Amino acid sequence: MSEKYVAISWNRQKKIYDIILISGVAGYLLLFIGLGASFQPNATIETLLIRGFGTCAILLLHIVLIIGPLCRLSPKFLPLLYNRRHLGVTTFFIGAVHGGLSIFQFHALGVINPFVSVLTSNTRFSSIADFPFQVLGLIALVILFLMAVTSHDFWLKNLTAPVWKTLHILVYVAYALLIAHVLLGVLQAETAPILSISLGFGMFLVVGLHLIAAFKETNLDKEISSNDDFVEACSVSEIPEKRACIRTISGERVAIFKYDGKISAVSNVCQHQNGPLGEGKIGDDGCITCPWHGFQYKPENGASPPPFTEKVPTFNVKIADGKVFVHKKSNKAGTFVEAARIE
Amino acid sequence: MNEDFYIGYLPKMPKNTARVIKIFVVAAFVAAIGLAVFAWIGQKPFAKSVFEFGTIKDFEGTIQADGVPFLLVEKSDKNNGLPTFERFPLVAEGKHGFDAKRFDGQKVKLKGTRIYRDDLQMIEVVSDSVEIISANPIEEKAKNLGKFKLKGEIVDSKCYLGVMNPGQSKPHRDCAVACLRGGIPPLFIVKDSMGNVSELWLLSETGEAVNKEILDFVAEPIEISGGVSRKGDHLFFKINPTQIKRILE
Repeated sequence: MSEKYVAISWNRQKKIYDIILISGVAGYLLLFIGLGASFQPNATIETLLIRGFGTCAILLLHIVLIIGPLCRLSPKFLPLLYNRRHLGVTTFFIGAVHGGLSIFQFHALGVINPFVSVLTSNTRFSSIADFPFQVLGLIALVILFLMAVTSHDFWLKNLTAPVWKTLHILVYVAYALLIAHVLLGVLQAETAPILSISLGFGMFLVVGLHLIAAFKETNLDKEISSNDDFVEACSVSEIPEKRACIRTISGERVAIFKYDGKISAVSNVCQHQNGPLGEGKIGDDGCITCPWHGFQYKPENGASPPPFTEKVPTFNVKIADGKVFVHKKSNKAGTFVEAARIE
Repeated sequence: MNEDFYIGYLPKMPKNTARVIKIFVVAAFVAAIGLAVFAWIGQKPFAKSVFEFGTIKDFEGTIQADGVPFLLVEKSDKNNGLPTFERFPLVAEGKHGFDAKRFDGQKVKLKGTRIYRDDLQMIEVVSDSVEIISANPIEEKAKNLGKFKLKGEIVDSKCYLGVMNPGQSKPHRDCAVACLRGGIPPLFIVKDSMGNVSELWLLSETGEAVNKEILDFVAEPIEISGGVSRKGDHLFFKINPTQIKRILE
């Protein structure tokens, strides 16, 4: 958390993350170009660069996309999520180099504008074998560009979390477009099975992990209902100290925290990037800490400690016979609610 | 915060978490190495084609401005006392054809960059480098080889011969269209059952350049009938573009 906007709030982990990322990308490009120059000495440097940057961008996008579901399956992957935006922005830059080189190589120095050439050189949209695959890559690159330029908390705050989240969900559209870009482009000419198998393995990993994570999440979304205003959510003993259990009440996920002999309930959705507050923890400072990026909220009022201004909705709670009851309707974000005391 | 709960801004990552992250990073690096190796194992061999970019040479010969512009350079050996010629198709810089009309039948000096693939050579003419020496029309009749129905692929000759590699098939289609739009002469690439490749210059039935008429059929398998003729080592294929048939729809 930061009370003012800076380009990057550096810390030790971010530095290590970026060093590994940059050396990984540089190492891959050197390896790809070195292998290409050795095995295919007739390949031109432009082709080596275009294919090197293209495959690198696809690989990075797969890594970006599997981090989300891995974190849903185990919190031990969360350090990968903490600085994922740097991975995403790097993916855009690598993809932009691939796109820029391709547009220059295939469309510049002609009789029409290169971008007009991209859109008009092939209009056989009805043919699978001859589909204009470069247009797909261009649209995907525009999406990745929009994501990269808004990949900062300034834009998250100003666009509002729902708009920002919707924009960034478009990464799945970009992924689908890029898979089609590869399938309808280079794999129409390079037909060796090992290339299709490599791409298929990547897709299997991305889709498979998302399905497994989604299956796990469906248990969380089982609605608890009651005719009363308060619904029985869980027993006090189910909740570990300083931790929460998550229940879905009136269609909303609620994080019910136990701490210092008390119970409080807040919305499970962090205001920063919709992280799961109920998977976070109450620290020595008495604040709920979001496991994704460490945004903090007081359990009694759902408000971030000053000078921060983020707020999440709170819920009235009561305890009877060792059971926790949560009110079906949430309070306005930041509303103080007396914590229920554990007898 | 306890050992098992970690946020990136905390000073030290718990050991169990660090172990999982290390395994992930190693797996990502292995995947990257695997992708680079598989990508090169899987790609088709690249043709032996060359663009001598940055090496400009002097050439002297006579320009013929038929459907495909050529520079005819006289060889030292003669045939029954008659001069023999080496033919260099001409293109301009970038994705532009060479405007040869004003030099037709003229002996010239020019500067250019060689592009070649196997025995087929081309010259990319340096802008404004052509100097006329004298008028020198060369009468050369094409040898008619008959009518043929051929299956093959239309490419732009400049990229195919060496400016790009690979300079054919689907990934290169848009570039080929841009080159043909700019006046680069089209080649028709035919492969026989033994895998031998023949390159034929595509012309209209009246021997004119065909570029805009064939843009929709570039870099895909097609079939077309037409008359084949030969001049020197070069084959020409005169076609009616409206009769091009796609092999795959």
